[in-house]
Amino acid sequence: MRKKMTRSLSILLALILTMSLAACGSSGSNGEKPNETKGDEAANQTVKLRIYARYFDDDTKKPYDYAVAELKKEMPNVELELDPYVQDGGQKLKTYAATGNMPDIFDAGWNDFQVFKNSKNILELDNEAETAAFKKDLNPGNEAKLISPDGHVYGYPYSGIEFQVLYYNKKVFEEAGVQVPIKTIDEWKEAIQKFKAKGIIPLSIFAKEKWISNSLYKGLAMKEEPKGYGVINEPGVTQLPDAFKTAAEQVKELQEAGLFDANATNTNYDQASALFYQGKAAMFINGQWEIYSAQKNMGDNVDWMYFPAKDEATYENTKFYLNGTGESSGYAVSATTKHKAEAVKAAAFIARKYAEYKYTQLGNPIVSIKVDKPATAEAPAMMQRLITETLPNIKGFSGIVSPKIGNVIDDNTQNLLVKGFSSDQFVKNLNRILEQENKK
Amino acid sequence: MRKYFNNKLAIALFALPSLFIYSIVVAYPILQTFYRSFFEWDGLGEADFNGLQNYLMFFKDPLLGTSLKNGFIFAAVLVVFQIGLGTILALVCSDPKVKGRKLLKTGYFIPVVLSVTVVCQLWAAIYDPTNGLINKLFQMVGISYQQNWMTSPYASIIAIAFVNAWQYMGYQFSLLYAGVKSIPEQYLEAATIDGCGKWTAHWKITLPMMVETFKFCFIIAITSGIGAFVQMLIMTSGGPGTSNYTLTYMIYRYAFTESEYGYACAISVMLVIISLLATLIINRAFDREKFSH
Repeated sequence: MRKKMTRSLSILLALILTMSLAACGSSGSNGEKPNETKGDEAANQTVKLRIYARYFDDDTKKPYDYAVAELKKEMPNVELELDPYVQDGGQKLKTYAATGNMPDIFDAGWNDFQVFKNSKNILELDNEAETAAFKKDLNPGNEAKLISPDGHVYGYPYSGIEFQVLYYNKKVFEEAGVQVPIKTIDEWKEAIQKFKAKGIIPLSIFAKEKWISNSLYKGLAMKEEPKGYGVINEPGVTQLPDAFKTAAEQVKELQEAGLFDANATNTNYDQASALFYQGKAAMFINGQWEIYSAQKNMGDNVDWMYFPAKDEATYENTKFYLNGTGESSGYAVSATTKHKAEAVKAAAFIARKYAEYKYTQLGNPIVSIKVDKPATAEAPAMMQRLITETLPNIKGFSGIVSPKIGNVIDDNTQNLLVKGFSSDQFVKNLNRILEQENKK
Repeated sequence: MRKYFNNKLAIALFALPSLFIYSIVVAYPILQTFYRSFFEWDGLGEADFNGLQNYLMFFKDPLLGTSLKNGFIFAAVLVVFQIGLGTILALVCSDPKVKGRKLLKTGYFIPVVLSVTVVCQLWAAIYDPTNGLINKLFQMVGISYQQNWMTSPYASIIAIAFVNAWQYMGYQFSLLYAGVKSIPEQYLEAATIDGCGKWTAHWKITLPMMVETFKFCFIIAITSGIGAFVQMLIMTSGGPGTSNYTLTYMIYRYAFTESEYGYACAISVMLVIISLLATLIINRAFDREKFSH
């Protein structure tokens, strides 16, 4: 009898364990479904929207908080629940999409837009009233930020087209006897020797991140081909054009002259920027967003210059062709949101207010949308120079390439920075991917 | 005891929860990976059946040569350091006359419990071409040879593999030490009585009797080498360029940066097949009958 009881209890226990494990999967750990309305029974019908947005430093937290505070005044019935953006190549978002758990609003770029478009996880915003208003208020030249290459609108951008420049340490340049700006590749090679003679790293670059070596290459390529990468992303272009071969040769010559630190491809941003800010490197390459940090760390001892070209005439003629890609990005809306109208309106509003903060509080004019409030913050001197000298004269940006071609360019531009990899190998590898991707 | 094991119903029911979890977390994804390898799929939308296209692409992939080469070099480094050095250390530590054996045994295992990120960052600092320990040591002793350990196309894979070998040598050491200790002492005593030296006795008696342990250690080392990934990701992001790619890195690239999940699944299947082939070869090479006297 006792044995029977024990046996029965054991079987019952095993069954309970099995059932509880199966039940665990059906109730999520956070206990809430993001797209469900809460408080339906409440008279005011508060709409909760989950937003996947960047929120990791002052540069991203302050504009977001400002935008949310403004949203509370504009749409008091809408409550935003922040799901912090993770810099993981879009994997978190894709996981959400795969599990049917997309946030109502999410910050993404063209690569993700394509994937979500194919899997029907993103709304096309072409016909929304917010989109028409956004188009009307767009800063000239920023059309590519709003309208994707396939002609549709998927997200509302807040930043304008960003690009990279070469920052330089004025004191180091003066002490080494190097003239600014450096306009030609030959002048750059001479400067490299002068810096090396003083034990200074000519250019600090965080090439552990492949995109920055790509940017350097693109900056030089734009001098040879002002249309940039748009030229090699066309069907039928199966061989790398001469302009891009020349740019690869230039990077190789500069590498052989000693432009980069020996460990450049294993250097991250913190290490590279520290070398520059401590005066151990003469130059530093990064986006124009680095202006604020550079000013803070180096005061008046820092400025920026354009990328050099093969000769002075080319330098002057191509100065205002910048290496930013201007791919579409911004706050997009999930196709599975249960509050489409509110989500679209909120996404557009947040993007506008984000841009407004950057313009008014940081004096950053590189935003997608015209801001009708005056800037209250004084822009740093380097930004003032960009505003007066560069932005009104921009002639063009580089186009975008497919992810496959982009990956191969990333790999091979990083390779160019180390010994033992030739520009011929670069050309061979690029030709292979162009043949594969662009064959008609 | 016999009665207990005769109660198959109870055994089945108690094993059911674990089997259930295993099926969901392990078996189902493996089957899905194999199934999806015959599709063109971006991981989210509809999958298009494309037969063996992904496998044909695999053999034409320009990254394949580098990845396979790096995988085998990685495996070779693991075998030499983890098994070769591990065996020597196990034999040394098995000698009761060696002082500080307990401390040595513990010391060899410490790197195994460290975080792989910490170990990789440590070795990245040691390998630094300008301020790293190795190049500075060379300078100190007057050796002019300086190496850029992590960007050299030839040295970098060996340098990265050594990091893994260093960290997990303690794990192999513990397996090999257990293998050494499992050999009855009478054999070695008999050899000693017959005038055999210590190391000759180890060569003729201990090592042949450890064939099953070696088989297991070789399988772990070689399959780990072929599928290496973490150290490449942390130390060099597979670079410069793709020079430190392995098959697992290829899977990572195609799945997560190019959204070609179908192709990535095909590479996973090929990785499993290559690892199984390696296991088969090792099993044949370490066939017990070859080593029995």
